[in-house]
Amino acid sequence: MIALLRLLVMGFVVLTVIYVCLSFYSRAVRRGKLQDKWEAGPQMVDRETFVRRGLERYDGSIRKKLIWGVYVVPLVLVAVIIYLTNHS
Amino acid sequence: MFSIIKWTFWITFWVLVAAFFHYTLPQKDIVRVVNTYEERQDLEGWTRMFWSAPDDQVASLINRDVQFIQAVTPEGDPIVYRNEDTGWGWPPYFKLDTANLYTEAADAVSTKAAPEWYVIKHYGWRNFYLSIFPNAISLRPVDGPDAPKGIPWVNIIVLTLFAAVVWGIWVRWRRFRMRRIDPTIEAIEDDLAEKGGAVRRWLGTWRKKT
Repeated sequence: MIALLRLLVMGFVVLTVIYVCLSFYSRAVRRGKLQDKWEAGPQMVDRETFVRRGLERYDGSIRKKLIWGVYVVPLVLVAVIIYLTNHS
Repeated sequence: MFSIIKWTFWITFWVLVAAFFHYTLPQKDIVRVVNTYEERQDLEGWTRMFWSAPDDQVASLINRDVQFIQAVTPEGDPIVYRNEDTGWGWPPYFKLDTANLYTEAADAVSTKAAPEWYVIKHYGWRNFYLSIFPNAISLRPVDGPDAPKGIPWVNIIVLTLFAAVVWGIWVRWRRFRMRRIDPTIEAIEDDLAEKGGAVRRWLGTWRKKT
């Protein structure tokens, strides 16, 4: 059981690092895109408001939730391997 | 000289990578299972890494019983597999059903007169100089010694992903070198050439004027 615990803890730490990095990166990319969009657009509101609103919309979006895949994909993969190795 | 060092380094590196994948990725053999046995093994020295580290094994424990599966290939060559849990460690097969596989293997035993053929999936190497054995993962019956073994999906996916990662790193490194390092080196070279000229001119002032 120690080995399982070690795998879970190590995996959690590594995946959390990836998750945090990816979150910041994705948000920065979104911010850049919003700024470009504001430059190109009619500029009805000031830049800060436009970017802030866009990022608020991003925070509630499915795109942001997809980053949870960093945790979900390896877990599913491990479950599938366990099933294939031991149950078939 | 430098190019010899460079080539030696990269050839060694890629041979090690290839050996790593050849050891770790699953392979399939069609064999006839002959027997199963259990034997006490001394697990010490550097070949320790070719054996599993079971969950509850104390670090100081240097020998324990290991299960083996003896088999014969269609060509008549012997091949012996060990049967050990990989548990939750490396390589990530998450094999926990060693006892079940042992039972299946015992059930699969057949004679030369009435052979039954099985595909054994395994990873690892057999080497009798080092006394190391491939670890059997699973086995299933097949029609005969020439039956198809199936498409190695795991190997295809893993190697493709690995190639993609290597390619990505290589492209980025090349781009980085072209943009940053090459111009810097050229600038240094130009600078040195200029300075060299200056030094030579200064030395020239010391020469006897004729």
